[in-house]
Amino acid sequence: MSFRAGAGALLLMLLAGAGARADEAFVPNQSSDDLTIVDLGAMTPSATMPIGGKPAGIAVSRDGATVYVTSPEGHFVSAIDAKARRVVKRIGVPGTPMGVAVSPDGRRVYVADMYGRDLLEIDVDSEATRRVEIGAMPSGVAATPDGRLVIAAARDDNALVILDAASFARVATLDVGKHPYGVTIDAQGGRAYTANVESDDVSIVDLAERKLVATVRVGSHPYGVALARGRAFVANQYAETVSVFDAATFAPLATIKVGEYPESVAASRDGETIYVTNWFSNELWSIDAETFKILGKAATGDGPRAFGAFIRVVD
Amino acid sequence: MSPLALLRAIVIAAVLTPLAALAHGATPQKVVETIEIAAPPAKVWAVVGNFQDMGWLPGVVKTEGEGDVTPELARRKLILAGGAVIDERLVQYDDAAMSLRYIIEHVDFSVLPVGNLSATLKVLPAASGGSTVEWKSRFYRAFPGGNPPEQYTDEVAVAAVSNLFKCGLAALKARVERE
Repeated sequence: MSFRAGAGALLLMLLAGAGARADEAFVPNQSSDDLTIVDLGAMTPSATMPIGGKPAGIAVSRDGATVYVTSPEGHFVSAIDAKARRVVKRIGVPGTPMGVAVSPDGRRVYVADMYGRDLLEIDVDSEATRRVEIGAMPSGVAATPDGRLVIAAARDDNALVILDAASFARVATLDVGKHPYGVTIDAQGGRAYTANVESDDVSIVDLAERKLVATVRVGSHPYGVALARGRAFVANQYAETVSVFDAATFAPLATIKVGEYPESVAASRDGETIYVTNWFSNELWSIDAETFKILGKAATGDGPRAFGAFIRVVD
Repeated sequence: MSPLALLRAIVIAAVLTPLAALAHGATPQKVVETIEIAAPPAKVWAVVGNFQDMGWLPGVVKTEGEGDVTPELARRKLILAGGAVIDERLVQYDDAAMSLRYIIEHVDFSVLPVGNLSATLKVLPAASGGSTVEWKSRFYRAFPGGNPPEQYTDEVAVAAVSNLFKCGLAALKARVERE
């Protein structure tokens, strides 16, 4: 390609980039009591929203329209109009709302009461609530893509609980590693992954068979798991790394050095990029999911937690 | 500051409570303290990097441990004046970077009103051949749920850790610069 043709192609790419809006990361900052919105195209913060109540957990509706943020010390969940950057309403939740997920149809949110024993289902329109006992320290929550199952970690019971979403009743309780925290489900809804903070490994569960498939050793104090390109990416808080392993063979692939006290990790919708929040150094880092190189860093507020699936799709 | 004065300074709660069985509060706290020391980094690291001797921290009368500086295997008991004990475990050790990270596995809230504390000690080169020592920590207040009693708030926990680190770094500086 000639220089002129190359420059023309570059110009076209820039023009296309100017028209399309990039996806965003919604990062609750627990210490500064706010939310940083990061433009993932430019890897720069584009907005900050006050939230209050020490926000920590996050879930985004599948269409990217609504973002839910838990405030464990404020005892509420904020529903945010993502495009308008406006809190639409606050739903009071008794106890310590921490982990959160949204149903694929966007009509219900699942909220873990961390210092209680229950998972709550809240109808986002009527605010009608159902609850089910999960166990000691309900932590991470995720729903399968078909909306039929909800998976929650009972951290201090060292268990993953599988719930039937329609009846909101337990269908199975599976022993995993020590202190499971974040929960991630693959795109097919076949397997759930949980990071075991105290045993430094990841438990992988087959949701149809309702059994443990594998336990994979990672770094010190793993918090969260992201899935992309047939690989699992695990944020290790004490090791300050992201461990990468093959999701089919469980073979280790890489250990990537990241910022201070990484906690939450998520994949871009195309699976090309991994994003990790660094709680102590107040940053969101982006990582190439193929080469494992660090691509960019964006400043957040103080103490970014982003516990949950924090990427918002923008169309 | 005398060992007993230091202990008094970091003792916040008057009595032990059964809360020790519970984990931590909902919001992790940060403390970062630094000090400049007029000595080369290697000389400072020779003291700080010896995980099995925390004798430079005021209030510690004896360190008992095992596992040298091997992460996850190395443990130590800090025996304080008055008999209280802090159990710690080494989780990271980087000799080249002069950095180590440890966690407190057990401490009575009467000694330090915190839960799930991890801390990093790092020696950095400073101008004119001296050193900067950074001591930073992540932890939770002792009382895990909402509405903590006044002796177990976030503010009390942060003040206790901050005070401990400041006292420790001042004592480290005095010791290394004296040697």
